[in-house]
Amino acid sequence: MTLRDSMLATLLTALALTAMPWLVSDFALALTLTCLMYAGLAVSWAMFCGATNYLSLATAAFFGMGAYVTAWGAEGLPYGVAVLIGGLVAAAIAGLVGAAVLHLRGAYFAVITFGLGELVRHAITYYEKAYAGTVGRVISEPPDSVTIYHTVLLLAALAVITALAVRSSRLGLALRGIGSDEERARTLGVNTRRAKIAAFSLSAFFAGALGAAMAMRWTYIDPLTVFNPFIGFQTVLIAMVGGAQTIIGPVASAVLFSLLTEFLRLQFPYLFLILLGLLLILLVLYLPGGLASLLVRWRWRKSGA
Amino acid sequence: MREALLSAQGVTVHFGGLVAVDGVDLEVHAGEMVGVIGPNGAGKTTFFHTLSGVLVPTAGRIAVAGDDLTGKSAHIYAAHGVARTFQTPRVFKEMSAVDNVRFGLEFAGRTRQHAHDAFDDPFAILDFLGLAAVASVPAGGLTPSRQRLLEIGMALGARPRVLLLDEVASGLTHAEVEKTAQLIRRVRDELGLAVIWIEHAVRVLMSYVERVAVLHQGAKIADGDPRSVARDPAVVEAYLGEEGDTQRMAA
Ligand SMILES: Nc1ncnc2c1ncn2[C@@H]1O[C@H](COP(=O)(O)OP(=O)(O)OP(=O)(O)O)[C@@H](O)[C@H]1O
Ligand SMILES: [Mg+2]
Repeated sequence: MTLRDSMLATLLTALALTAMPWLVSDFALALTLTCLMYAGLAVSWAMFCGATNYLSLATAAFFGMGAYVTAWGAEGLPYGVAVLIGGLVAAAIAGLVGAAVLHLRGAYFAVITFGLGELVRHAITYYEKAYAGTVGRVISEPPDSVTIYHTVLLLAALAVITALAVRSSRLGLALRGIGSDEERARTLGVNTRRAKIAAFSLSAFFAGALGAAMAMRWTYIDPLTVFNPFIGFQTVLIAMVGGAQTIIGPVASAVLFSLLTEFLRLQFPYLFLILLGLLLILLVLYLPGGLASLLVRWRWRKSGA
Repeated sequence: MREALLSAQGVTVHFGGLVAVDGVDLEVHAGEMVGVIGPNGAGKTTFFHTLSGVLVPTAGRIAVAGDDLTGKSAHIYAAHGVARTFQTPRVFKEMSAVDNVRFGLEFAGRTRQHAHDAFDDPFAILDFLGLAAVASVPAGGLTPSRQRLLEIGMALGARPRVLLLDEVASGLTHAEVEKTAQLIRRVRDELGLAVIWIEHAVRVLMSYVERVAVLHQGAKIADGDPRSVARDPAVVEAYLGEEGDTQRMAA
């Protein structure tokens, strides 16, 4: 594919996605929204975790924080501003938490980031019960579904563009060095602590903003829904199955997963989680590089032929 | 006398009960090439860890160009112009050889300008080391001795003022060792670097450095010109039984 071809393809995809609300049924639009949400989450997760080999389970925490910014600010804040603030709050908290725990790696980091979600969820539950006298919140005047769709589309596109920009920047090089051998990167002049905090915080921005955007769509939110650990796990799985070192991998895998989940759920309502689990095991066993490695193999075969 | 570029005072490292480095003093000036020798486990590599900020010494001070860097992180040492290689190569395996060299140029080397423009280009550095042909090969796929050369390239990319080399010539044939030694001397001459070089091949090392320090059980037992160090009774004592190195050294 030439540069012109791929630019044309990108433009057409962008147009098609933007026009989607007027082209397809409500059901298909809802499905596309889920694809976009997971694409944004998985791409931003991979932006930090894919390059550095960190395993963060904090996506649900940042997503939930964003959602609560919307919930609490729903009356006063315009939708766009709430989404922006949701992202900023998540980024700020990620910066603070990152400064405290990014020296840990592997299972320790995974467990702590998972704990972060649980901690915030319980804190909010307690706060709402004690001071607001409620468990969940109803968002009384949500924007129409087309606005929500376009917001999520914009965020997913921004996540992809940011991931591309980071990858070709010095920050991206630093992150790859950290993923390969952090101490070696330090001996070559990388302030690894600063690079990790910056990237972790940047990736949290998207999770927070997406949480804030999606909250409107659910109209009723409570801590269990928005801090659902499943969102975090699903994001990690999608990114890893797609190939966390790449950008196209998590996008493709987000689409595949969302469609497949929906299809299996409709066809095999009782078996779908088992089937999904099986599929996952097969993918991890036989395609450790993720779906993106298929593309590499295919290109390689084509150039070899 | 002008100020030392690198100065270590009373550097000591304890690993539990083991004293790996024991009160070592070392001053190195710009343009100087100093060899460090000592039997296995003498503490040479551990001493390098402290000089590059990889390890904070239990006691002692380290200053670079007059700035006390004791306790600072390794990237601060790198920013002050200390670059090193690792005894067991630690190249970025998934990155191409040229990206490994570019890495230092993008970070530690970014703020400093070399006297010699040739080393501003990662390809030129690879070419200088004889690695131009493998520039786009992932570093993990290179042979161990090529990875050692690439380690030198990564360090040069950081535009060093002090270059710490830890057994870069091990595993090379005699001819390759000579070639590597000449390369190192050339960068020293062209860039005016301070070079500290650990090597087990004592004789080769002795013929290329102007000064040699000997570590034994963590302590520095000799420091001076190679000829007198080789005749030093304490050094001869330390090397007794070590593969007959003393005879070769004295020869
Ligand atoms: N991280 C560590 N923890 C505990 N002991 C260590 C550690 N690193 C090194 N040592 C010990 O400290 C001593 C000095 O080791 P070092 O690697 O510095 O020696 P060396 O002179 O470089 O040896 P060689 O010539 O074999 O490379 C050895 O006894 C080693 O076993
Ligand atoms: Mg050693």
